[in-house]
Amino acid sequence: MKNKNSVARCLVVTLFVFFALLAGCAKTTPSATSTLTAEQFASARWEDIVAQAKGSEVNFGMWSGDEVRNRYYQGKVAATLKEQYGITLRFVPTGDVADIVNKLLNEKGAGKTYGGTIDLVWINGENFRTAKQGGVLWGPFAERLPNIKHFAAEARQRDFGTPVEGYEAPYQRAQFVLAYDTARVPEPPRSLATLREWIKTHPGRFTYLAPPDFTGSAFIRHILLQQLKQDAAYNGTFNEQLYQRAAAATIAYLNDIKPHLWRKGETYPASPKEADRLFANSEIDFTMSYGPSFASERIARGEYPASTRTFVFEEGTIGNYSYLAVPFNASNAAGALVVINHLMSPAHTLEQGRELGSLFPLALESLPPADRAAAEALPLGPATLSIAELARHQLAEPDSEYLERLEKDWREKVLRQ
Amino acid sequence: MDVAVAKYGRRLAMVAISGLAVIPLLLLVMRSFAQRWFWPTLLPSAWSLRAWQYAFSPTAEILPALATSLSIALLVTLLAVLVALPAARVLAWQEFRGKRAVIFALLLPVLTPPLAATMGVHALFLRYGLTDMLLGVALSHLIATVPYATLMLTGSFSRLDPDYEAQARTLGANHFSVLRYVTFPAIAPGLAVAASFAFLISWSQYLTTLLIGGGRIVTLPLTLVSFQRGGDEAIAAALSLVFLAPAAAVAFSVARFLREGK
Repeated sequence: MKNKNSVARCLVVTLFVFFALLAGCAKTTPSATSTLTAEQFASARWEDIVAQAKGSEVNFGMWSGDEVRNRYYQGKVAATLKEQYGITLRFVPTGDVADIVNKLLNEKGAGKTYGGTIDLVWINGENFRTAKQGGVLWGPFAERLPNIKHFAAEARQRDFGTPVEGYEAPYQRAQFVLAYDTARVPEPPRSLATLREWIKTHPGRFTYLAPPDFTGSAFIRHILLQQLKQDAAYNGTFNEQLYQRAAAATIAYLNDIKPHLWRKGETYPASPKEADRLFANSEIDFTMSYGPSFASERIARGEYPASTRTFVFEEGTIGNYSYLAVPFNASNAAGALVVINHLMSPAHTLEQGRELGSLFPLALESLPPADRAAAEALPLGPATLSIAELARHQLAEPDSEYLERLEKDWREKVLRQ
Repeated sequence: MDVAVAKYGRRLAMVAISGLAVIPLLLLVMRSFAQRWFWPTLLPSAWSLRAWQYAFSPTAEILPALATSLSIALLVTLLAVLVALPAARVLAWQEFRGKRAVIFALLLPVLTPPLAATMGVHALFLRYGLTDMLLGVALSHLIATVPYATLMLTGSFSRLDPDYEAQARTLGANHFSVLRYVTFPAIAPGLAVAASFAFLISWSQYLTTLLIGGGRIVTLPLTLVSFQRGGDEAIAAALSLVFLAPAAAVAFSVARFLREGK
């Protein structure tokens, strides 16, 4: 009996020592006190911010599911920031920025208002709306960044209908395009109306991705947007009456083409990968993507035939911006601002266009002639449309509430019909 | 005759079961080397080392993540066993009021939806300043591992009669000898299973690590999830295999230990 007690005592002592150590560690967590506030930034000189950021470390919560992008950012971009600003860029691998927004909301609830682990996040749409409403973003700041002048007004105003108000800075641009194989379809239908005719005369050769897939959702949203725009009252924000009218016409269009789709519309490809396969195997004649250079990339990888090209509708296609934001409890807001401003610069966006083939996000008319010429001369890949062509056809995303409602209606009124 | 049929049937079942385990792995290996693989071809039509080159490049930061994962999982295993051993001994050998309630409370972390539980744990850890460090992450993994380890060891202890310990002591064994020659050999198989469970559960945590570690503690699942969601199937497959190897090694060595013990 005596022995048994001594074991127990031994364990208790071990655990006690362990937790005592733990408590000791807890007290030594770094606390940043010299953080920049948004009020200070509003009256600060940019040179002072750059000086303050020198020698600091910036933790970037960046979606990290793309090999080429990871290599470019951890290599060239990090080296440039080190060289030009003395900033060390560290990456926080992020599968879904929604996880980070949840973390920030929790930290706000627990009162952790400084010393956060993330200084910079890549964000847009619904995640931005959640973060902004939850008050977990640092700002406003975007309109005071020197390079904001290179972005078009629409990029600075609304993100999926949510007013930006300087709480995030525009970063990258994307636009919806369709791809076709010139060897199979010499001349694609360049409007929704002619697309409908084409589908009916070529049964089984067209389909779209099933929402809520991002790309499929963009396709049905494009149809909705065409209807919304016919109403003079439409201004981008959600309106129930406008929605009802436009959604009815959208559902009618989709049900009209449904029997003529691939597999008679009884099933839809669920992922871009599946649609890629159908297109590569000549089972369907069109694919679509929110990345204007996607077809060129797939030609380069040998996945699409070399005769593939992309097009946009004459009435335009929806495009959006993604943004960079600073968490409310960032340890290094000054460093984050310097990094953001660099990522918005003509020098970086041109380099990124060359390295990753990303769509050039800056407004051409804002650039000095040399940069403008360089942007126009960016190699596009065989299937990618020119920046000017895309910009001419770009339509703004409707409010994200339209998106949620339409996806639900599609499920009930198109898929299950 | 019947014996032969039974033997044959058992062998067939073994083949089927190992096939179920091996075929998905084989697909994963092929996927990691595939450059082009479209239906309906049985094998990829073009092969490439790209995914593996990336997995072992410094950009992917797999080796540091592997080291972090390993230290956390080993620490969690040690702590989980330390907590579970005395708890299981008492739960198996002693009757007391509220024992059922204790067992229920022990099971709660396993029964609650992980997302809700994790958010609560995160809020609590924030208050105590346990976030953004390795020790905090290990502690948070304990919440999921201690219930399993305790229940498994309770099973082992309840199959061991406490009188064996008493008998050894009567025969003059000191405390250490009792542990070494009586208790430990009797519970060793259960201990091995409990420890490997603790290791594997810690090994595969994603959301807990992301929230409690704040992105500062990067484990393998964190690097893997980005690629699974990003759609690069070859790299996701290669990283999955890197992720799987230590887990499989643990599972195999425990299985072997159990077989040899018999």
